[in-house]
Amino acid sequence: MLRHLRVVPHLVGIHVRTYMEYRGALFISWIAQAIGYAGVYASIALVLARFENLGGWSWPQMALLLAFHLLAYALGASLSFVQFRDMEEKVRLGTFDAILVKPIGTWTYLAFSGLNIEYGGHIVLAIGLMAWALASLPLDWSAPLALYFLAAIISAAMLTAALMTIIGATALIWVRSRHLFSIYFGFWELARYPLNIFPLPLQIMMITFAPLGFLAFIPTAVVLDKPVPILGDLAGPASLAIGPVFVLIAMLHWRYCLRNYQGAGG
Amino acid sequence: MGVMMTAIIAASGVSKTFHQPKRFAGLRGALKGLFNRDYTEIHAVTDISFTIAAGEAVGYLGPNGAGKSTMIKMMTGILVPSGGALSVLGRAPHSHRMINAAEIGVVFGQRSQLWWDLPVRDSFELNRHIYDIPAARYAENLAYLSDMLAMVGYLDRPVRQLSLGQRMRAEIAMALLHDPKILFLDEPTIGLDVVAKDAVRKFLSKLNRERGTTIILTTHDLQDIEEICPRLIMVDEGKLLFDGEVTRLRAALGSRRRLTLTFGTDPGTITLTTATLTADEGAAKHYLLEREDISLLDVLGELGRGHGLKDIKLEEPDIEEVIRTFYQTKPTLAGVSP
Amino acid sequence: MKLGAYPAFTATAFQARLAYRNQVWSSVFGELVATFAFIAVWTAAFADRGSVDGVSLPEMVTYVLIAGPLLQWNTTPFIREVGDAIRTGNVTAYLLKPLHYPGLLLFNQLGNNAFEQVTITLPVAIVVALSVGLLPPASFAHGALFLAYWAVSWSMLFLIATVVSLLAFWVLTAFALDWFLRGIMAVASGAIMPFWFMPAPLATILGNLPFAWVSYYPSAVYLGKLDIPAAFLHLALGLAWLAALGGFLAWLWSRASRRLVVQGG
Repeated sequence: MLRHLRVVPHLVGIHVRTYMEYRGALFISWIAQAIGYAGVYASIALVLARFENLGGWSWPQMALLLAFHLLAYALGASLSFVQFRDMEEKVRLGTFDAILVKPIGTWTYLAFSGLNIEYGGHIVLAIGLMAWALASLPLDWSAPLALYFLAAIISAAMLTAALMTIIGATALIWVRSRHLFSIYFGFWELARYPLNIFPLPLQIMMITFAPLGFLAFIPTAVVLDKPVPILGDLAGPASLAIGPVFVLIAMLHWRYCLRNYQGAGG
Repeated sequence: MGVMMTAIIAASGVSKTFHQPKRFAGLRGALKGLFNRDYTEIHAVTDISFTIAAGEAVGYLGPNGAGKSTMIKMMTGILVPSGGALSVLGRAPHSHRMINAAEIGVVFGQRSQLWWDLPVRDSFELNRHIYDIPAARYAENLAYLSDMLAMVGYLDRPVRQLSLGQRMRAEIAMALLHDPKILFLDEPTIGLDVVAKDAVRKFLSKLNRERGTTIILTTHDLQDIEEICPRLIMVDEGKLLFDGEVTRLRAALGSRRRLTLTFGTDPGTITLTTATLTADEGAAKHYLLEREDISLLDVLGELGRGHGLKDIKLEEPDIEEVIRTFYQTKPTLAGVSP
Repeated sequence: MKLGAYPAFTATAFQARLAYRNQVWSSVFGELVATFAFIAVWTAAFADRGSVDGVSLPEMVTYVLIAGPLLQWNTTPFIREVGDAIRTGNVTAYLLKPLHYPGLLLFNQLGNNAFEQVTITLPVAIVVALSVGLLPPASFAHGALFLAYWAVSWSMLFLIATVVSLLAFWVLTAFALDWFLRGIMAVASGAIMPFWFMPAPLATILGNLPFAWVSYYPSAVYLGKLDIPAAFLHLALGLAWLAALGGFLAWLWSRASRRLVVQGG
């Protein structure tokens, strides 16, 4: 295990060097992606500008929710999204087989040798928006609250990486799993808005089998001291536990799928 | 028993079955497929047994879909066998995937393990860390391999600028940096030109002789086997057809030598009992010698004098022909079949 | 190549998509979830108000379905595929065949979209109609005009996406161009936020850009927010934009293909 950790910087290093071969394109893609998100946020801001609040959330509060959503997603996805989205091709072309013959954890290799620094644009936009939102909101900062905020971001990032891993791993036994990302992104879209505006069945889904309510809404509501449907006072501890719990589930699923891996099928 | 002592790979009754969803043809079939999920069982490998001793070089041969790659994938720990027992270096490869991976080297002919945009050396360096190769040993191996595979000139060039032959040599070198006990190669010469193929074959054969590295390679190209592997395992439709020395296969199949007799002038049709006439070009006549116990002298004796015979050519069948005959007839001769 | 042969590409694209059945089911589910999210957003925004700026909540629900699933299609795979084919020179394989590449793209994309309309939008529309309710067109004339707007909307998005992917030949990467376009479309097409809720100066600017014909104008016409003369006028403006974009695309394509031929791929 320790040996694997020592390899990680080298895995990341070699991938970053690949990016540096095309650093101009990387920089432009950061800007392009930030603009892509900014367009959507501008639309939501326009809705808030006309309607004052959405389910009791003002624009600065919504901005914090959106920033949290983007930051936790980008941190988790940089370790997982592209790597596991392309699992189908990796299986079909046999590149996954080439990873399996290396004396290193397959997940470790995949996640870090593909560490996606293209999310730089996401992260800069998210931190900028978050800084503006936090400055505009009269928050009563204390050490426990700051600590909770940080831990909640990490937990939500872990949740993201775990869900991506679970979906990607499924390609090992089904050959295809890309379609599951359509479902993921359906809920991911929902996770940008206050959970209390949705009908009860959707709320239940968002904190159970599609737990993207934890990606941004629940931790942001805890920080802003707003009511969380269904969970109530459990929201705080639950939002910190969700990341580690899903990482555990993802590990078990990943192992199960590796054991039942079929290759490209003959 | 001595064989058992040195066996580093032992397969006993190994099978692998895949499940694939059924597809239906046409628009109507595709619509039906939206609601229907049936599976077809594909028996990629069926009840295969063999042992391979340390230091052997074995060619694993078979047509497309014969289960060659599946077998390699089971031996390298990528796939789990559905049945039977498989042991590589004394372990079940899949349940000890990482330990197994540290002691073997794998080259895939059709998929590169090198980093496309970076110099060859960067990929090698990464492997040094992944395989935890001591610095001195790494330097020594890198020097040896770049010399033997003539890579010195392009170690610092990005992989995307290399020719296929250069890249394949780099792939092979990369798989050997950590001194693997066994080197698996899946179609290592596919797509290479004659010169590049020759370089790869010479190197592998030398590696096997000088360093004693066990080599197992799958191929379509019979020359790979002739030049590298004294031992041949042939499979088809997942089943073992032949396991033994190449020379034994030739002998067991019968030699089916080809005889060409050239005359000064067309002597007319000549039928013989010792040889079968296959083509008659007038002055040149082609025969097939099907029985091993008949010698050239027997044929010439039957032919007798007075036909104005100018030239005689007797050809041994090449391995390609032997194997083609083998697949066509699929004989169950004692001593050939396992 | 005969013009009559192009629809074959439409049929093939349609059929090819059917092979990925899981993709169909999950897309329906994903789209359903996203559509209900937007319906919930508007329900929350309206709170208990009957109408805002003369627009009612049921009208907004109908707007969500038309402006989103019906009129927008995912241009990302299209732009990346075409952009990469052009940048890598793989497109020269098409230049050698007796067919017109943009024409091939058009008919191919038509098949893809027909597929999505039938397998994704239709089920989502049925579910929304049965659960929340959808409004009919404001009048027969508005309904008929909407059909014309629908054709303009589709052609506009196709032209925009094709122009953007051709730009990858000279500037940036298809990846970056796609993200820029996404940001612009989110605001300027009216897919999320209809212009009537926007501050007037912004609405005026966006209303004169071609993106507005992708989602905003067709949905507004369907709901009767434009009277018949205004609807005809904007249809004519939309067609003018189409002609301009079509001309620009033809010019870009002739330059790109000349350069591809000169380079020899």
